[in-house]
Amino acid sequence: MSGTASLLAGETAQVSPAAGAAQVWRRLRSRRAALAGAIVLAALVVIALSAPLLAAIEGQDPTTYHDTLVNSASGGVPIGSFGGVSAEHWLGVEPGTGRDVFARLVYGARISLLVAVGSTAVQVLIGVGVGLAAGLGNRFLDQLLSSTTDVMLALPSLVFAIALMAVVPSGFPRPVLLMLVIGLLGWGGTARVVRAQTLTLKELDYVAAARLGGSSRWRIARRELLPSIAAPVITYAALLLPTNVVSEAGLSFLGVGVKPPTSSWGQMLSSATTWFRADPAYVLLPALMLFVTTLAFTVVGDAVRTALDPRAASRTKVGTRGAVS
Amino acid sequence: MSRSPRTSRRLAAAAVTVALAGGAVACGPNSGDAGAGATPHRGGTLTILNQDPQDKFDPAREYTSGGGNVPSLVFRTLTTRARANGTAGTKVVPDLATDTGTPSKDATVWTYHLKDGLKFEDGSPITSADIKYGIERSFAPELSGGPPYFHDWLAGAQNYQGPYKDPKGLDSIETPDAKTIVFHLNKPEGDFPYLATATQFAPVPKAKDTGVKYAEHPISSGPYEVVKNENDGAHLVLKRNPYWSPKTDDQRKAYPDTIDVQSGLDPAVINQRLSTGSGADAAAVTTDTNLGPSELAQIGGDKQLAARVGTGHFGYTNYLAFNTKVKPFDNPKVRQAIAYAVNRTSVVNAAGGSSLADPATTFLPNQATFGYTPYDPFPAGATGDPAKAKELLKEAGYPGGLTITLTHSSSNADQYGPDIATAVQDGLKAAGITVKLNSVQESGYRQTIHSVSTEPGFFLAGWGADWPSGGPFLAPIFDGRQIVTDGSNFNSAQLNDPSVNDQIDAINKITDHAAAARQWGALDQKIGQQALVVPLFHPVYKRLYGKDIRNVVISDWTGVLDVSQVAVK
Repeated sequence: MSGTASLLAGETAQVSPAAGAAQVWRRLRSRRAALAGAIVLAALVVIALSAPLLAAIEGQDPTTYHDTLVNSASGGVPIGSFGGVSAEHWLGVEPGTGRDVFARLVYGARISLLVAVGSTAVQVLIGVGVGLAAGLGNRFLDQLLSSTTDVMLALPSLVFAIALMAVVPSGFPRPVLLMLVIGLLGWGGTARVVRAQTLTLKELDYVAAARLGGSSRWRIARRELLPSIAAPVITYAALLLPTNVVSEAGLSFLGVGVKPPTSSWGQMLSSATTWFRADPAYVLLPALMLFVTTLAFTVVGDAVRTALDPRAASRTKVGTRGAVS
Repeated sequence: MSRSPRTSRRLAAAAVTVALAGGAVACGPNSGDAGAGATPHRGGTLTILNQDPQDKFDPAREYTSGGGNVPSLVFRTLTTRARANGTAGTKVVPDLATDTGTPSKDATVWTYHLKDGLKFEDGSPITSADIKYGIERSFAPELSGGPPYFHDWLAGAQNYQGPYKDPKGLDSIETPDAKTIVFHLNKPEGDFPYLATATQFAPVPKAKDTGVKYAEHPISSGPYEVVKNENDGAHLVLKRNPYWSPKTDDQRKAYPDTIDVQSGLDPAVINQRLSTGSGADAAAVTTDTNLGPSELAQIGGDKQLAARVGTGHFGYTNYLAFNTKVKPFDNPKVRQAIAYAVNRTSVVNAAGGSSLADPATTFLPNQATFGYTPYDPFPAGATGDPAKAKELLKEAGYPGGLTITLTHSSSNADQYGPDIATAVQDGLKAAGITVKLNSVQESGYRQTIHSVSTEPGFFLAGWGADWPSGGPFLAPIFDGRQIVTDGSNFNSAQLNDPSVNDQIDAINKITDHAAAARQWGALDQKIGQQALVVPLFHPVYKRLYGKDIRNVVISDWTGVLDVSQVAVK
């Protein structure tokens, strides 16, 4: 995360918003990997949104137990091959409970995407706010906010997240809590990028002109700076998304994520770890979903970064595709 | 019984540890190639692979059932559990004493005589004064950890602070001569011979007592003595005690020459090492690690491995507890509706399947020694009877269904966790009962459910007795005088029924175990009608042992592969 931050902090995105959008879209579309990633992401969003419908088409739901589909005498392993795959249960059933794996996976997509998008939004909002304030504020405010940002970046966020998830009363809606916890612990990088951009931009003539013209700081931030820092922020957010997917899965894996019986991929993976020999299908499916999701997010995010970066774009033309790191 | 959260945790922990020590006799000593057809061989080294260290290895500080497994190799006690398979192993038999004790008419005075020729590891004779001293030092605050019964049962012992502060000792333990010891209790306790299996009844020579340091090298009265004790029991090596004689001990077989106890291992590692069995692991067992459901599923297909799995039963019941002070659980009809609606098949599957759990309809475990009387006051079949439950809810005034909260632990460790809770939730759904789940952090779970002030209305609980008898199973849970308002309370339903209390007192006077068991069974059935708890299942323990292990004995007392019986090839 911080590696990307320093990388982006060094760049000065000069893409003017008006001319940029069409050009960026063209660049994105021309990259096959990005297109494939975007299609996969779109499919995942459709799956997540239509989870109840998909489960209904299959004729199952994610929480109903099926006692007769598992072999109780041998630890509750699903009866049948590939984890009990059948016409009724397309991807088999969960060991021990007999709950439908397909339904749990598609419902799990909701949690994964919702929390990833939600926590990214929280991170961006706080990051942009803090970054702008630090860049535009007086020395004292800058020092205070920059130090806070440093502290946030240095925090062992996983440990903190586990602690936070554990102390909040169990009545609080868990997906919202996950968004807040991941969001509140992960805005440091965005804030740094935005502050660096702001410091550079505010010395430029057009900003000075606005200042001399009597614009307030708020107005300068809103009208002059925000449009210019949008590109690096979008890039950064695109790269935060897969990280947040993994964070949610990690917390659920550790048992502090969403509460049962709500399904989540991380939770499925966690209960599957002991089953990897006896019922490999049960491990592979949530792992595959997580892998595909993070890969798609990363590919698209990388493409967005390249598309928004004019230097990378020029390199693309001569065929050395964005090997910046 | 237990009066503080600390002891309660230990009690439960002890029960679970013993429970986890499930064991080995799917194929009994005489079955199959991996069994032990031939005469067991003397000598060799037995390795024990465990998760938990054998810490506080001091007879005053151990909390064991029947004297424990490894502790019983070093500490002999007045009585001990019979080292036999299954039901025969639930009997109490003499150890240092010549019999299991002579009670006075009302079971308040118990007299024991020691066998001849008993010696410590240094050759000095074991006397009744050493046993008295061993019990007295367990009262010392610095040697805490033992069971609470000594304070509660021995006359005038409530405030005794141990021999270091009060060298005069306890008047309620008399030693008229070197071979006789007499205990005076403050109430009738027919189960006293069972308590006398605890390590606190092991002799401790006063001259060799080093206080808290005694744990490093306790003076052995059993077949083995401590050679090495690293990091408070993290690694323990035992070798033969030359002064122990099988002539005075018909229970411990002591085949191996050396016993090497290793701990701090991950359960998956223990089971993997036992199944691979390379090097010293071939002659290894575990006394605290079960096979999990997935490991069982994996072993299922491997005949050679399956032959090395032992099955053990320990008296334990997992149940749904109600706090009858909380609405709507004050209404018997609501409790009965829940009892009818529970799907025990789902719950058993969540607990690891039918090989690892027996469905339960009685509070007493399904063994004769507890007084098990089969009954089912709310017969709902294997998967629940939602129609009957709905009917009862209607009568209770909830025709449109009901929403309740089930409190559970955040960890599945003792089967108090989300796995069982969601299985219960799904079963009640069919009866129109919506269950919300309230997860409590594992570390604080027991304290939450066992404090009157924080006790939830409906929660997952479990109970195991310190010895195989109905008394320690029923009394803490249903005796109204054991409702503790400022400490650990196990009477979750807060039942205070004089007729139940009187019956508990009456049965405690009975010294004939079988007669008492019948009465406990009848009492269990009587209480069961009130639906104060919904029994879910009795756990069953599956234990893997190394391929060179012979003479596997597992009693229903501990459910544990008894390390005093095993031989190595």
